[in-house]
Amino acid sequence: MKNNASSPDLNLSRPSRADRHSERQAHKIRNIFLATLSHGLIIFVGMFFAVPFLWMLLTAFKSDRDVFHSPPRWLPYDNVRMEVNGEPLDLYNVRVEDGSIKQLALIQILEGIGTFVDPAHPDEILTYEIQQGREKIAEPIMEISFRWQNFPDAMNRGSRPGVGASFWIYFRNSLIIAFFTILGTLVSNAPVAYAFARLKFPGRDLLFVIILATMMLPFQVTMIPVYLFFNNTLGWGDTFLPLIIPAFFANAWDVFLLRQFFKTIPEEMCDAARVDGASEWQIFTKIVLPLSTPVLATVTVFTFLYAWNDFTGPLLFLTSPRNFTMALGLQDFQGQKTIVWNQLMAAATVFTLPIIVAFFFAQKTFIQGIKLTGSKE
Amino acid sequence: MAIPDSTQHAAKRRMILGIKLPPRVVWTKRTRADFRTGMFFLLPWLIGFLTFTLYPMVISFYYSFTIYHARRLPEWVGLQNYKDLLVDDKFWLSLSNTMYMVVFAVPLGLLASFLCALLLNFKVRGQAFYRVIYFLPSIVPTVAGTILFLWLLNPQVGLVNTMLAKIGIDGPNWMADPDWSKPALILLGMWGMGGTIIIYLSGLQDVPVSLLEAAELDGANWFQRLWHITIPMVSPITLFNLITGMIAMFQYFAQAYVISGGDKDHLGQPLGSTLFYSVYLYQNAFQYLKMGYASAMAWILFVIILLFTLLLLKVSDRYTYYSG
Repeated sequence: MKNNASSPDLNLSRPSRADRHSERQAHKIRNIFLATLSHGLIIFVGMFFAVPFLWMLLTAFKSDRDVFHSPPRWLPYDNVRMEVNGEPLDLYNVRVEDGSIKQLALIQILEGIGTFVDPAHPDEILTYEIQQGREKIAEPIMEISFRWQNFPDAMNRGSRPGVGASFWIYFRNSLIIAFFTILGTLVSNAPVAYAFARLKFPGRDLLFVIILATMMLPFQVTMIPVYLFFNNTLGWGDTFLPLIIPAFFANAWDVFLLRQFFKTIPEEMCDAARVDGASEWQIFTKIVLPLSTPVLATVTVFTFLYAWNDFTGPLLFLTSPRNFTMALGLQDFQGQKTIVWNQLMAAATVFTLPIIVAFFFAQKTFIQGIKLTGSKE
Repeated sequence: MAIPDSTQHAAKRRMILGIKLPPRVVWTKRTRADFRTGMFFLLPWLIGFLTFTLYPMVISFYYSFTIYHARRLPEWVGLQNYKDLLVDDKFWLSLSNTMYMVVFAVPLGLLASFLCALLLNFKVRGQAFYRVIYFLPSIVPTVAGTILFLWLLNPQVGLVNTMLAKIGIDGPNWMADPDWSKPALILLGMWGMGGTIIIYLSGLQDVPVSLLEAAELDGANWFQRLWHITIPMVSPITLFNLITGMIAMFQYFAQAYVISGGDKDHLGQPLGSTLFYSVYLYQNAFQYLKMGYASAMAWILFVIILLFTLLLLKVSDRYTYYSG
């Protein structure tokens, strides 16, 4: 290094050891400050995404009373219960005559008068006013407790009283529709995409422009004739067929996605097979498809998302509750006069769960698919 | 959708939507065989296109000139539906509600997504975790998300208004207030913009580091680098998402339907503030059974979407950078 041999005046301009130390220190402090600031910002904005999600989960675990607790509490609380004479009763803190506070179990409240029993003396029945003026005499004892029972309660009920179909049925219907939609999408889109990616034939590019142009066509334009065709002409109203059958006839988005992937498979491999006398169909099924598992996984995941999520399709075609999907059932449940929020949120959680599970198992596939569909260049 | 490709500019005469047309076909034994193979592979799409796209398009175009009540035969009325639409107050209301969302929600969502992507691109620990948090809401099903926001934004007992009350703010009635229902829906939309954030994030990661470092050496500060390098580099993403976001917003339906509680007479409430174009179209088709009128609305929607897309593509030509 030349530094040692540098001239005296250059030496003067060089920072002393102490200076360099404090500079490094300042740099370090600046970095810590920046990192803290970054974390702070990311977390602050992240609350917007996290809090509603958490609120859905937390509400799903709340007891009926706690849902409407004002002001809302984050964690779910429930009454502390005690078995008295073989019956689970809510415990209350009651201010008795002498001013002391006693733990009593509530039997019933009638017109503001509570009937209690002392767990220590189960034979004695006591009555107290719940409230005297603005002063609370008896207050329920609450503890943090997650009410798992909301989930079976929500799933075993129907969206409306007396519909004869439970959320389990809706869940099953959604699964059936999603399964066949995925099947149809995988079977029908791959050959079409292969033709656009690898085959040369007259009219290919024109047809490709047409298929891409259909992406711009709003669903509303074809909605009415397609509805009448399925519903009146074929008589498929209130069945899953109108939701499943179109999936077996390819769509622009998946064709495009698959085509982009197929184009990345080395042409030489296909050419080698062609020289050996393989037909295009053999090349497609024996060479291209086995190499395409990642993109087929992407299509599977996104078709599942689409079919599971779809609201408009089921709304148009499914009319009787036993055929409802989760989306329809949840919508119907929400439309009731008195909304049971904790059960509604439990059902919404069950509706969301399969997607979350799929995401954590196939995170890479999700992200890849989003990038492929969303940043077309 | 156009696939912009800067290398094709020379061949502009033979292009449709940015894609070069092939030379005239010479039909030989060979091309005929190729054609047959091609059509065989395309069969699923060809059948689907004819049955579920082309035929319905033609029929729907015909319906738009008729009065058609589903059960009876369509009755030709010429341009009457279109004339009626021009003086239909609810049509204009639904169009202006939708334009509100296209003009505010779409650009706002893109801007917010970009800013979030910038945050998630910071080199700090735990970034993988943060990214999952930002992304998760976007895969919550639309109906579940909308119901969740009805709960959060409940005027009396919702989390948002009770929190606001704590700091002394009297929260609005959100979905029940005509002035706040659309902003509430915009919030709901932004909650689920994780997909766009991920797309921007991957775009940010594709910005060449060498370019940013060179600019830094030349004394460009963070904002200058952002403005002169990063934003132009992600402009194709912005354009693409602007167009797809706009097309989706013109068809905005499920969320508006869910907040009505499924009560058909309650669609578009409060005070018609959530009567979006597709909601009014649905109402005409399936509630009033005015299939012809609804078809006319659908075609107007198609034309509007086409015009907006072409306009955006035209305008963006100057502002979009393609590295090729």
